[in-house]
This record gives sequence, structure tokens and C-alpha cells, in this order.
Amino acid sequence: MIIAERKKLGELLEMVKGCRRLLVLGCRGCVAVCSAGGDKEVSVLASAIRLGLSRQGKEIEIEERTLVRQCDPEYIDPLNEDASDFDAVLSMACGVGVNFIADRCGKVNVLPALDTTFYGANLSSGEWKEMCAGCGACVLHLTGGLCPVARCAKSLSNGPCGGSQNGRCEIHPDVSCIWQQIYDKLSGLNRSDEMKNIMPMRDWTSAGHGGPRRRIREDLLP
Amino acid sequence: MKAGSNLENVLRSGAFAVTGELGPPKSGDLELVRKKARILKGFVDAVNITDCQTAIVRMSSLTAGLAALAEGVEPVMQMTCRDRNRIGMQADILGASALGVKNLLCLTGDHQKFGNHPQSKGVFDMDSIQLLQMVKGMRDEKKFQCGEEIKGNEPSLFLGCAANPFADPFEFRPVRLAKKVAAGADFVQTQIIYNLEKFAKFMEMVRDLGVHEKCFILAGVTPPKSLGMARYMKKFVPGLDVTDEVLARLSDAKDQREEGINICVDIIRQVQDIPGVAGVHVMAIEWEEAVPEIVKRAGLSDRPEPKGIEPVLSSSSSIEKAVEDARKEVRIEFEEELERARTEAQASRELVIKEKEKVASEISDLKKQIEEARTMASHKEAEVRKLTEEIQKAKKELEASQAAGPAQAPPVAAASPPPGPGAPPPPGGPLTDREQKVLESLNLGLQALKSVLGLDDSQFEALRRFLEAEFMLQLGQIPAPAPPPPRPPVTEPAPPVPEAEPAPAEEAKAPRVEEAAEEKTARNKEVVNLVAKGNLALHSGDYNGAIEAFEKALSIDSTDEKARAGLADAKAALQKALSAVKEAPEEAAAAPEGLPPRPEEIDEQWWKEKWVIRYTAMGNVALMKGDYDQAVSAFEKALALDASNEKAKAGLERAKNRQGIFIPEVKAGQAPAAVKEAEAAPKPEAEEAAEEKKEAPPEKPVEEPEAKAEKEVKKEEKPQAKPAAPKIEISAPAGEGVGEIAVSPLSKEEPPLSERAGDIPEDVYKEACSGAIQSVTLGDGEKAISVGGETALPFYNFEGDMPNPPRVAFEVLDSEPEEWPDVLTKYFADCLGDPAAWAKKCVEEYNAKSICLSLISTDPNGADVAPADAAAVAQKVVEAVDVPIIFWGCGNAEKDTETLREITGRIGEKKVCLGPLTDANYRTLGATAMAFQYPVVASTPIDVNLAKQLNILLENLGVHLDHILMDPSIGAVGYGLEYTYSVMERIRLAALTQQDDKLSCPFIVNLGREVWKAKETRLPTDGMLGDQERRGVLMEAITASALLLAGGELMVMRHPKSAALTEALVEGLL
Repeated sequence: MIIAERKKLGELLEMVKGCRRLLVLGCRGCVAVCSAGGDKEVSVLASAIRLGLSRQGKEIEIEERTLVRQCDPEYIDPLNEDASDFDAVLSMACGVGVNFIADRCGKVNVLPALDTTFYGANLSSGEWKEMCAGCGACVLHLTGGLCPVARCAKSLSNGPCGGSQNGRCEIHPDVSCIWQQIYDKLSGLNRSDEMKNIMPMRDWTSAGHGGPRRRIREDLLP
Repeated sequence: MKAGSNLENVLRSGAFAVTGELGPPKSGDLELVRKKARILKGFVDAVNITDCQTAIVRMSSLTAGLAALAEGVEPVMQMTCRDRNRIGMQADILGASALGVKNLLCLTGDHQKFGNHPQSKGVFDMDSIQLLQMVKGMRDEKKFQCGEEIKGNEPSLFLGCAANPFADPFEFRPVRLAKKVAAGADFVQTQIIYNLEKFAKFMEMVRDLGVHEKCFILAGVTPPKSLGMARYMKKFVPGLDVTDEVLARLSDAKDQREEGINICVDIIRQVQDIPGVAGVHVMAIEWEEAVPEIVKRAGLSDRPEPKGIEPVLSSSSSIEKAVEDARKEVRIEFEEELERARTEAQASRELVIKEKEKVASEISDLKKQIEEARTMASHKEAEVRKLTEEIQKAKKELEASQAAGPAQAPPVAAASPPPGPGAPPPPGGPLTDREQKVLESLNLGLQALKSVLGLDDSQFEALRRFLEAEFMLQLGQIPAPAPPPPRPPVTEPAPPVPEAEPAPAEEAKAPRVEEAAEEKTARNKEVVNLVAKGNLALHSGDYNGAIEAFEKALSIDSTDEKARAGLADAKAALQKALSAVKEAPEEAAAAPEGLPPRPEEIDEQWWKEKWVIRYTAMGNVALMKGDYDQAVSAFEKALALDASNEKAKAGLERAKNRQGIFIPEVKAGQAPAAVKEAEAAPKPEAEEAAEEKKEAPPEKPVEEPEAKAEKEVKKEEKPQAKPAAPKIEISAPAGEGVGEIAVSPLSKEEPPLSERAGDIPEDVYKEACSGAIQSVTLGDGEKAISVGGETALPFYNFEGDMPNPPRVAFEVLDSEPEEWPDVLTKYFADCLGDPAAWAKKCVEEYNAKSICLSLISTDPNGADVAPADAAAVAQKVVEAVDVPIIFWGCGNAEKDTETLREITGRIGEKKVCLGPLTDANYRTLGATAMAFQYPVVASTPIDVNLAKQLNILLENLGVHLDHILMDPSIGAVGYGLEYTYSVMERIRLAALTQQDDKLSCPFIVNLGREVWKAKETRLPTDGMLGDQERRGVLMEAITASALLLAGGELMVMRHPKSAALTEALVEGLL
């Protein structure tokens, strides 16, 4: 799931201070699951903006709306019809939604309400953790399913560095050393010998360093 | 041979190799590199040049490596994967090799988070193993990483890697080393070894894998520079295993640096015995000077002749010439400057010599004069002696004649004096002709004597002459009514004569004597004799005799001025003596020495008062010096003179108290000596008055009308309070309630730095900061205080502003403290159980600008007082004082949340400060604080990053940085002060110089509780550790002052005296 978190209210107020009519647009996808941009968050943010601006002596008319997803044209395109009613659309989707609206709705002034942070999992209520870097060249079969690219501070490929101590990463006591976990996992699977192999230098083109990425499945193309 | 480097040569020859380490400077100063290289040269086979170690920007390892090479020291260039991608790295590798670098150590690199640019993007295009593969490919296969061929010169490098035997997982470490060797490592340098057992085990596993045969293993060693450094490495450097044995050796050592070198040498000796170890890598971090010593002591100083060290660049003559020219230019400038300075120095030296000569000639002139005077005096003395002998002879003749006919001998005096007690019967009888003649000759002698001495102005000599003559007369003719004093005729003023008297008396007498001698012929001889006798008697203390003599003289010639004056003198003296006798019994009981006689012009009562004051002052001085015996005797003397004197009483009590507690260091002889000294040099009145003033202020509060209870408390306090810091002069302004707490201000340096710096341009010593510290306001109303706001390092007033002085907050506990030592509780004895009264006392008596209420009673592991009850107490404190209040919870995150919320519920709008907020409760408490706009204390365990993180979390929550005080966690002096200092300093530097605004909050430093829980503040007074209170006060004050310098802005303290000292320090520095 894509994890995001709402920007600080001050920043958002600054963003929308010139608007008379604003559409706060939520998304029922990932951001709703990670409590950043679903229905509830939309209404909370809308009230907060109303209050915040009224304290500055400004009035604003806000409409609240939440789409099933902001990453599909069928939900986005209708925005084109009433876009002129609003000075801006404050999207509470991940960066994908914001981009998509900007791409498809020429007249819409779209603003991001969230910082899109990482691909992660929900550990417990209120806690998410990064699990994948979306690097486009998965090595999880070599590492017991645990990702050194996303979860090692230096994205090491060949085992733990000298800063691994008691299963913790040297950068912060709260961070576990993923290579210790990989070592433990592979040992448990009687696969620890695999760690003797040298993993060759990575090709980072698929990780975005080769330019914007795109995926095509011919069989599904219209 | 892979690269032909010196290191490779040494290792392949089988010799035990030694490498060193050189950290490039955080500047472009190449000379620093050269200097370090020169220290190491000849003692190591190669030197590692670090590549921005700990992710701090430094001169690049390639540049510094080339500088080392030019000095004839072979570099091992380190290269990390953190800052460059494969393109940049390969480019640098080509360049390095081309310029003569022959060793390359491949590292992944420390994470950028640890350095001075934590916001940077870490590259990590590859890891160290892949880097080894890449360079090996370039060297052996002449291929770039992409597979493209290197056409032309390929890099020729001896490849190294690092290995940490002490990181986890331990079993994987040898495997990882094997991977590195397989990837291309020719040699390996290990992490610093202290735990030899673990290292031996690691090597055993390495040998099992056969790795030691495929590469050279150099054991990493570091001499610990101090115990602090060793502790720091153990605590904060991940993967560094400093053993307890090493710590113990350092802490037992007299010279820690020396022991550090010994430890290092011992480790080198031991790793030499481990099979597979081919050398050592000596890392003396910023202590390069230690390396030669270590290498020598380890018996490794006989290094093989270096081979293959050829700097490529420095051979270029043009560069050399440019350098030479630049040097010349600098030298000329320097020499000019030097010459100028020399001329100036010479000129001033000559001036000084001239002055000296002038003074010397003056002195020698004076000496000559003195010498002349002396010769003249001795000359005259000889004459006097001669004349005296003549007189003696005459007297003998007179006696002989008296013996012949005593009955006929007439008295010289007109009437015979009445017999004094025990006086022999007067001889009486008229003078025979012969005696008359003798007397005449005597008079002639006197006349001669006078004419001789008349030249000499010395009143002293005149007196002597006169008295001598008189004495002769008395012996021969009329015995004095009282026996003459049992000492030789005066040559000096008689000791019992009051000090003040001799001078005026003698002055008055001298001219008189001269006059008398001149008029002698015209006056009745008898009168003259009687007057002389009277004067002698007066001087020898026989006042009755003197009066009689003068009266007799007057009866003969009532107009004689001398006699009249003498009579008056004698009567006055008698009167004085009588009154002195009256007092004697009283005085003798209390003061064995008694009072020195009072000068006549001074009223009796006043004289006594003076001495009471003087004795009290002497007592106080002795008390300050710690000489309590003397103090007691002085105060007792004062009390004997005036039993009702309050000051003396208080002083005596104080002195006795201390006398009881202290083992007096003063030797027995010292006390009387000091008394004598004080008496021998009576202080002028001005000084005495000053003394009186000095001791007066501490007493004043007692005399002022105050509540009785308070008065009593104060009296109890004072005796101990004052000696607590005897060296610190106490000069409280009169009328202030806490005289004994106040501290005299530090002297401020008058001339500004720019003046003191002389010709040094400002930009040399000034380094303006780019950041600023937030200003946080505590409390409301006119008693509100602001802390922070600096734009420079603490007290660097020449670099920026420090608009708000650091403040002291007095710590008040919400329940009676159980473990506080008496030396602390006694200041609050009357209010310990009542926090409101306690806080009030702090504000009113100790001038507290802020209060920190410690809610210790709420601790679930202690009294576990309910939040509501704790809040009720807190509310009382808030109502009692108007200074800003900090509520400091018990440290249990959950309980603090409940308690502090309850408190805010009660006090509402009043601006207090809440703390400590930790990562466990910052959300709830942060929200509460935000609702009321309270400042908060963000508390983290001694760590820069944790402190920053909590600030970020709070800011994300909506708490502004100008409402956050950082509590970095404190260690008292002797209990980790250096860690605290270091962390605070780093935080402050980050905020001021690295624009790390998330760390720009002011510090609150809760140090009182740390200091006063230290064992040293609890141990009683003894001979070795000294006075308990003084010790505690100084520990607290020293901790405070150290942390003030690290950036502390709000110091939470306990002892009023140390608080006062701290405030005085701040005052003095600003």
C-alpha cells in the first residue's frame, strides 16, 4: 500500500489562501486505509481550513468529495465538468492522484494535501513501515523475502556492514538491521550458504534512475 | 606484485607491516596534512587517508593523499560509496593512480546521518564488495564497470578493505571478509581491537576459511587517549568492543595518555602472536604524535627502506618554482614584519634600561646618604660614650666624697621628697663644696654633651642624653621615690608606652630639652634637676614620683614652664593608670594580654568599643581563614569587653561550631603570632572602619525587625552558611535578606576583544553564525523571563548577540525530600514539607527568578500520589509565587500525562512550562500544551539525533519551536558531564552553524538533582574531602558553569549558594 501523511495545516492554509471556492477531494484507495485521505480525513481537513482561514479573517466555501480512486480516468474525468466552479482542487490522494488530475483536467488547479511517503505495511494501528522501494528489480528471492534495498540504510547488497549491533542498525536504535534479519531468516531456512554469493552491482535504471517508468501489457491494450 | 606499492612490498617480503592513519583537515589547509605526514614518516609503511570519515566534509582523500606522497609518505587512499556514483568513482580512481597513488581501501562509508550534512542524499550506487570488484576489473581486466575497455593506462592499485570482527552476526563476519577477498581485496585492515579474545576467535574462523592465505590481515589498534575517550567509544561507536579491563587500566593510571600508549603496545604484541596477522594498522585519531612512540615501544621502529614512493605531481618544476616564489614572498613579508617588531622591542627595551638606571642611581644616592648619616651617628655615639665615662668618673668621686661625710651632704633638691613605699631613706644633707664642683663639672659635661648633640636633630639622642644625666644624678644624690624601672636607660621607647603616644610626646619633648639646656645657666639648677627627674619618673611609669618632682620644682620656681607642663602630663598619666588599674581585674579574666594602653586623646568608652570591633574583626578574619581557635579567642576577648555585643556572640557561636566540626589545620603557634601581628600593626582608623563594614552586613538582617521565626532560622543557618565558601568574599548589599548567599560580582574585562586582539584582523578570530536559537518565554506578566535568542555560541559576545542571560530555576520538591543532605535542607528547613512556602522562600529570600516544581511524589514506584492531589499542591505553588514555574513530572510517561493534564486543568491560562515530554507521551502532553500555549520541555537521553527527532515530532504536532526547551539529559561533574557537554555542544553547533533549525531550541539543564545525588555530596566533612557543604556547592556550581558554556540557558539548581555563584558567573561573562 502507498503510505502518505497529511501536510501541516499551516502549509495547506498558505496554499489555499487565495481561494474563494475549494474542492477537498479524497480517495478511497490506499490513503483511506492509512488514514490520510479518506472520507473522514476530508471532512476534518475541510473544517480545519474553514476555521483556519476564518481566523485570518478570510471566508472560503469548501465542497467535500471523495472518489473511489484518483488513479483511474473513469473517476477523475468527471472533474472536468465542474472544475470551473472551484478556484482549486485540494487532492487528498497520493502523488499519483494529484498528477493524474493535473494530467487529465486542463482547467483544474490541483494542489496536494498529502506527502506521499513510501510503500509500506500497517504494523499496528497508527504505525506504518516501509517494506518496498519499488526499485523494479526485485531480489527478494535471494534475501528470504526481506528487502535490503528498501530496508537497509545504505541499500547494501552483500550482508551487514560494520554498524550492525545486536540486530539494530547504527543509524537509529529503533531501526532493525535488515541484513541481520535476512541472515536469521535464511539460516532458519537452511539457506545461509547463499549469503556467501556475491550479489553483483545493481542496475538502477528500473529504480527510476533510467527516467520515468512505464509498463505496457499488450494483451490488455485497447 | 599487483601494484608495486611500498605496502605491498613490505607485506610480500614477510615483514610485519605497520600502517597509520591521517585524517584530512576540514579546510583547504594542505600544510596540516604535510605536518601530520611528517610526524608519521619513517614509522609506518603507508598511511590511510580517510575519505570524509563519519560523513563530515573534509579535504578529499585524493588531494590529501597526494600531499602525503609529496612528503615521502605512501598513502592508502580510502574511497567510500556514499558520495559518488560509479562514474565519479572510476574517474577518481583513474586520476589517483595516474598521480602515483598505489593503494586503495574500498569502503561502503558511514551513513550521512552521522555527519554534518545529514540532509544529503546518500548515493550508495554500490557497496564496498562491489567496489572491490569494480576496481579489480579495471586493474586486472582493463575494463570499466560497464564492460568497456580501458584504452591506455589502467589503474594499478593494491586493494584493501575493512573488516569488523566485533559487529553482528559474528559468525557471518569471516564469511563477509572472504567475500571481500573474493571480490578483490589484497589486504584488510580491521576495526579497532580491544577485545583480543573475540579477535582471536575471529581469526580462527578466518583461518578455517583459508582467507589469511589469500590476503594480508592488518589488525587495527588505537591508543585510548583518555578514559573518557575509551568510554565514549564503548558507548557510542557501534561495533567497537572496549573491554572493562582497558577501562580499568585507564582509570587506575596516573598518566592516562601514557597508559593508553601502553595498552596499544600490549595489544600489538598480542596480535603479533596470532597466526595470520600480517601487520598492524595504528589509528591514532588526532593524536599522530603517539604513533612513533607506539611503534618504537612495540619494537617495530625498524621499518624496511621504503620503495616505490614517487610523487608524480611534485616533480613538476613549475609547481615547485611557484611554491618557492610564494614562500619567498611570504618570508620577505614575514621578515619585514619581524624586523619592525624587533626594532620596536629594542626601543622599548632601551627605554626600560634607561628607567632602570635612573632608579638605580637614585637608590644608590639614597643609600649613600643613609650611610653618611649612620657614620655620623656612630661617631657621635662614641663621643657620648666618652662623655658618659667622664660623668661616671665624676659620680664615683661624688660617691667617695659622700662616703666621707654623708651627714653633711646637702640634697640637690630644695626639699627632700616623701619616702615612697620601699624606697631607701633619702641621703639628705647640703652639698659640700667638692660635690658642688662635681655637679658643676657634671653640668659642664652636660653642656658639652648638648653642644655636641645640638648639631644632631635627633630628638631621640637628646632624650637619651638628658635622661642619662638625670639617672646619674638620681643614683648619686636623690634616689627616686619608686625604684627605677628594671631596664637599662632608655635607648628606645619603652615597650609598655602606648603606641600612639611616643611620637607626639617625644616630639614635644625634644625642643623642650634643647631649650632647657640652653636656658640652664639662667635657671635655678635645682629646678632644672627636678624637672629632669620628674620627666624621667614620668617616662619610667612612676607618675607619683613625677608629680612630686614637678611640684617641688614649681615650689622653687612657680613660673617654670617645663615643670608646669610636666606636672600636667604626669597627672594625666596617673589618672589614666588609675582607671586602667580599675579595669584590670575584669580584663585580665577575659583577655590575658589585656587592652593596650589607651592614647590620652581617646575617650575611654570609645577606646573599648574600638577594641571590641577590632577583636570581632580579628575573629571574623580568623574564621574566614579557617583558624577557628584563634577566632574563638578573639571573639571571647571581644565579649569580655562588651558582653552584650551581638556580632561577637554570633561570631563566637559560629567559630565554636566550626571548631567542633573541623579538624583544625592551624598549628598551635599560629594563633598568638597572628594576634601579635594584629597588635603590632594597629590598623589605621580607615581600615578599621572598613573591617567594621565588612562584617556588618551579615548581621544587619538580624537587627532588622523581622518575623521572629525567620530570625531564628537565620541565626541557625548562618554559623554554617558562612564558612561554606570562605574564599568567596561576601559583600551583600545591606538590607538584603540573604547576605550569606550573595556573591560578589566577577570583575568584567574592560577592553573589548577587538582592542585586546591588537592588530589581528577580525575575520581571523570571528566566525559569525548563520543560525539563531529560538527565544522561549516562560511565565507571564512582568515576572516573565525569556531564554535563548542567541546568534552566537554561548558568551561569544564578540560574534553575535546573547539577548537573554541564562537563568537559574530553583528546584522545589512537591513532598519532603528524603535523601537530601543536611547541608542542603537546612536552607529550607522551615518549609520542606510545604512546597508553596518553599517556592516563596526561594523567590523572596534567594531571589529565584523561576521555580521548577519536581512532582516526585507522583512516581508510581514511590508514593504514587494521585494526579488530583499533586495538582492541588501545584495550584498552591502557582498561587504562592508570581515567577515562571516549570512543572517537572516524575519521569513515568503515562503518569506524567495524567498529572500534568490535571494540573493544566486547574491552573488554566497561567503560563507554566510542562515537562518532561518524551517520545512516549509527547502527543498527549504536546496537544495539552498547545491548547494553552504553554512552553514544554522535550526530554531525550543524551543524543543529538533523538533530540532532533523529538523536536520534529513536536513540530509536526503543531508545537512551535519557540515553545520547546530541550532537556538533553544531564550528567554531573564526575558523572558523565563530558557526554552531556559534547552532545549539547554538537546540538548547539548544528543549530548555529549548520542551519539545523530543528535543533535551535534553548536548553533546560536539570542539574541540581544530578549533582545532589552524587555520592560526593553526601559524604560528611573530613580531612581529605574537605567541607561537605562547600564540596556540594562547588560541584553544583561547576556543573552549572560547564553546561552554561555548552549552551545551557535555564539551569535547574538546588543550593542557593551555587545558584548565586552561577548567576554571578553569568553576570560576569555578559
